[in-house]
Amino acid sequence: MELLEQISKALFSNVSGSAPGPLDYITCVIRWILPLLAVIILLRCALSMLRGKPESEVWGWLSLPDGTRAPLCHWENIIGRSKTCDVAVDVPTVSRTHAAVIRDDKGNWRIINLGSKGGVMAGGKKVPVSALIHNGTVLKLADVELVFVALSPEQEREQAMRRSRPGRTYRPGATFLLLTMFQLLLALQFCISMKDDLNLIVPAAFLLLTVLMWLYFALIRSFGRLGFEAESIAFFLCTLSMSVVATSAPESLIKQLACLFAGLVGFVIIGCYLRDLKRTADVRWAAAIVGLLLLAVNVLTADTLNGAKNWLQIGGVSFQPSEFVKVCFVFAGAATMDRLYMRRNLLAFIAFSGACVLALVLMSDFGTAVVFFCTYLIISFLRSGSFATVFLSVGGAALAGMLALTMKPYIASRFSTWGHAWEYVNEGGYQQTRAMAASASGGLFGVGAGNGWFHRIFAADTDLVFGVICEELGLIIAVLAVLAIVLLAVFAVKSAATARSSFYVIASCAAVTIMMTQVILNVFGSLDILPFTGVTFPFVSNGGSSMIACWCLLAFIKANDTRQNASIAVRLPKGLRAAMQGVRG
Amino acid sequence: MKKVKSRTAAVLLLAAAILAGIVFFITKLTLNGSDWAAFSANGNVYSGGMLATGTVYDRDGEVLAYMNDGERCFAQDETVRRATLHAVGDAQGNIGTGALKMFSSDLAGYDFVSGTYTVGNRGGEVRLSIDADLNVAAYNALDGRSGAVAVCDYETGEILCMVSSQTFDPADPPQLDADDTSGVYLNRVLSSTYTPGSVFKLVTLAAAIENIDDLYDRTFVCTGSYDVGGDTVVCSGTHGEINIEQALAVSCNSAFAQLALELGGDVLSNYAEKMGLTESFEISGISTAAGSFDIAADGSSLLAWSGIGQYTDLVNPAAMLRMMCAVAGDGSAPELTLKAQERSGLFSAKTRLLSADTAAKIREMMSYTVAYKYGAENYPGLELCAKSGTAEVGGGASPHAWFVGFITNTDRPLAFVVIVENGGYGSAAGGAVANAVLQAAVNQ
Repeated sequence: MELLEQISKALFSNVSGSAPGPLDYITCVIRWILPLLAVIILLRCALSMLRGKPESEVWGWLSLPDGTRAPLCHWENIIGRSKTCDVAVDVPTVSRTHAAVIRDDKGNWRIINLGSKGGVMAGGKKVPVSALIHNGTVLKLADVELVFVALSPEQEREQAMRRSRPGRTYRPGATFLLLTMFQLLLALQFCISMKDDLNLIVPAAFLLLTVLMWLYFALIRSFGRLGFEAESIAFFLCTLSMSVVATSAPESLIKQLACLFAGLVGFVIIGCYLRDLKRTADVRWAAAIVGLLLLAVNVLTADTLNGAKNWLQIGGVSFQPSEFVKVCFVFAGAATMDRLYMRRNLLAFIAFSGACVLALVLMSDFGTAVVFFCTYLIISFLRSGSFATVFLSVGGAALAGMLALTMKPYIASRFSTWGHAWEYVNEGGYQQTRAMAASASGGLFGVGAGNGWFHRIFAADTDLVFGVICEELGLIIAVLAVLAIVLLAVFAVKSAATARSSFYVIASCAAVTIMMTQVILNVFGSLDILPFTGVTFPFVSNGGSSMIACWCLLAFIKANDTRQNASIAVRLPKGLRAAMQGVRG
Repeated sequence: MKKVKSRTAAVLLLAAAILAGIVFFITKLTLNGSDWAAFSANGNVYSGGMLATGTVYDRDGEVLAYMNDGERCFAQDETVRRATLHAVGDAQGNIGTGALKMFSSDLAGYDFVSGTYTVGNRGGEVRLSIDADLNVAAYNALDGRSGAVAVCDYETGEILCMVSSQTFDPADPPQLDADDTSGVYLNRVLSSTYTPGSVFKLVTLAAAIENIDDLYDRTFVCTGSYDVGGDTVVCSGTHGEINIEQALAVSCNSAFAQLALELGGDVLSNYAEKMGLTESFEISGISTAAGSFDIAADGSSLLAWSGIGQYTDLVNPAAMLRMMCAVAGDGSAPELTLKAQERSGLFSAKTRLLSADTAAKIREMMSYTVAYKYGAENYPGLELCAKSGTAEVGGGASPHAWFVGFITNTDRPLAFVVIVENGGYGSAAGGAVANAVLQAAVNQ
């Protein structure tokens, strides 16, 4: 007996007080499994998205005078003397960027004269601006003769079938299964941490999320699409969002789920809309006008909430118009190649961006203003390639910022604690210092979902989500959440290599820029590495408008994914499915 | 398209910025995570502003403070609670230098991998170098009188006993009036300074050993007082013709007043500073109160008084303890610590406070003092070297009794400081308390 007592004494180091129960050990183990699952899920997505070189599509050829055939790898191809042209013709009389050969959704090709000195002829006729061309049309750029060879529908089908399919090595169903495990374990952990006052909405919300995810999976599979990596990432982040909301604001779980559903609907609708390049490009002006209108209404009538005047009340539902303006901004900013070369100046877009940023500054929503500004910089650089534009813009913004600071010194006070949060722990550094304390407390594996304390701090579920995730789920999962957004960005850049139109390239890059800028401001702002501006973490922060907008932005990334049958936002070649079934049958 | 494609690299710049930021954050977290976690607003560790996790043990593993059902609890025995109060701290956080406050990052149980998480939220552990039994011995010996007792191992620097009185029971904390002057929240060992009285003669002695060539050949004549330019420095007795050893043993004010005047204020001030009495230093991260020594005009009676530990002299008990370590240990003192150490004192950083030769001579004289004045038979089993002090505090109050020194018993290298406020004669009041604690230590 005495021995037993000794052993138990040694085990519990003779502290009176409650010894850990079996539930404590379950929590302990769940803490380790969750990061492991998260690593596997993201690794599967990353490998599936980034493995292998981008495979170019070939949409036609140009027979060159030396007898070789240059492939046209995009829907928009530039021909000229410059090496950076898609088809380089190294003849002195040809201009550096001479002409563009462009395909539309229906497979019709045009040649466009990009103001060349030597002139463009198609089928023996002069082309002052643009002309339709067909298989076999003889093109003459200055004194160089080229023959255009189109891709036949059969060749197109064959090419589509030869392209590698996503989901072969890393089956999306398995990834979704792992995600399901992740969600169920989180739900279980919440049930443990809530103990006596079990709120059934929490496990129910996780189950609904799982169901919603699999319904989406079934729907997209029924469309014959096979790529789910971007959606897996988004669902992973949404799961973290449910965890954050469950711990800090369980009453808005259902609202958050509803908005996730609305976001999915928006994602599918915009995805389908983006399949058609012409109508996509045509909506540009409408998007710009809608965006400006939303912001104007907002500036004039919005309610002020927590310093920023960015909320609108319509019929009892409050929403943040600026979130939806992000989607409009992407539509308005992207452009097809012919526009890039025909109208080289960016004046209209600069004016539009300026108006957006100004409106946000008027609303005191500086964080979102920075997001728009960064996105503007990326879009204008993608469109013009001009560092001068970028530097001028940054300079102009800096000047305007200085002017604003001298005229309205109270703005400067917002940033005065930046970098000195620990000197103002109960004033300007209140939230940041607590975010740092919370993130340290969690260690690598967290204290267990629902066991934290940080969620009680104001804006923990929105501006401070990184701290909540660090504290409850651990540094590994928090860093993975950030890396998930980076992964989307790298995928967008990789997809640009095989893009059909510059519109999709610019749009997807703009979308990931918005997300990454938000991550930078959200995460590093809350940790006092950057000024604390109060921006949401894409997909994770509690907020309906933000959730819907993020899913809509995701559609732009999918629109550029041209792997075989990968994306809902890319149209399949006619007859492909029948042909494939034929092959398989 | 080629051009647009190459421009998309700009997007990767943002991605790189994110990665750089994350690396920066993790670096900061690695460096500062412990401090962040110990932030008093961290609800994982604190509750209502009070540390709500962690266990404090004494050096033998006796529990001094622990959490039970969200309540801060202390040792079982009330005397242990009272005797260890200032070392451990209280649940309300009024004792600013207690382990519950100063070692909160250890008690939070923070480490980079698991943060502050422990299964069942038990928090971290701190093992103090304090021995609860010795604290109880010291507390009982003080017998309700105000004062401070500290004992440390002068080889390792571990503080084995640290008691401050007045004290209270942390399980039943008192409601103090706003004008309360009892100073129960103050750890007198770390945060108080006292007029040193005759224990300061050790500083004057060190200065004399190194600056007066014929010190050992001299004789001092004590007529019961010593005149300095019209003022009189009174001595505790009429000692007649004595040498320096006897002067220290009988604590002759006349002799040391002469030495002080001969050495001058600057030299005395230098030695007070060199021997660490005027600076604040850290004990396991807790800053001690700095003592002070004001330089009086050369040839003045104030200078004479300052050389015998009166005038405006102030000494912090912990600084005196460190000085005793240096005298006992060849002139250099180990870094004092309140946390039990696994490693041996050989590896800890030592601070040299005086030369090895000087330390040896002072040691010899302190040993002689015990034999000649205090009586070795009063300290059975202790190979004691000591110096008493009877610090006049004015206002008609009894003087503060000091008793400082060390024992050279081979297996118990202990230095000690005892102060009994208004305790009367140093050797009588202080010596008894010191004897009680040292006997407890030696007979363990």
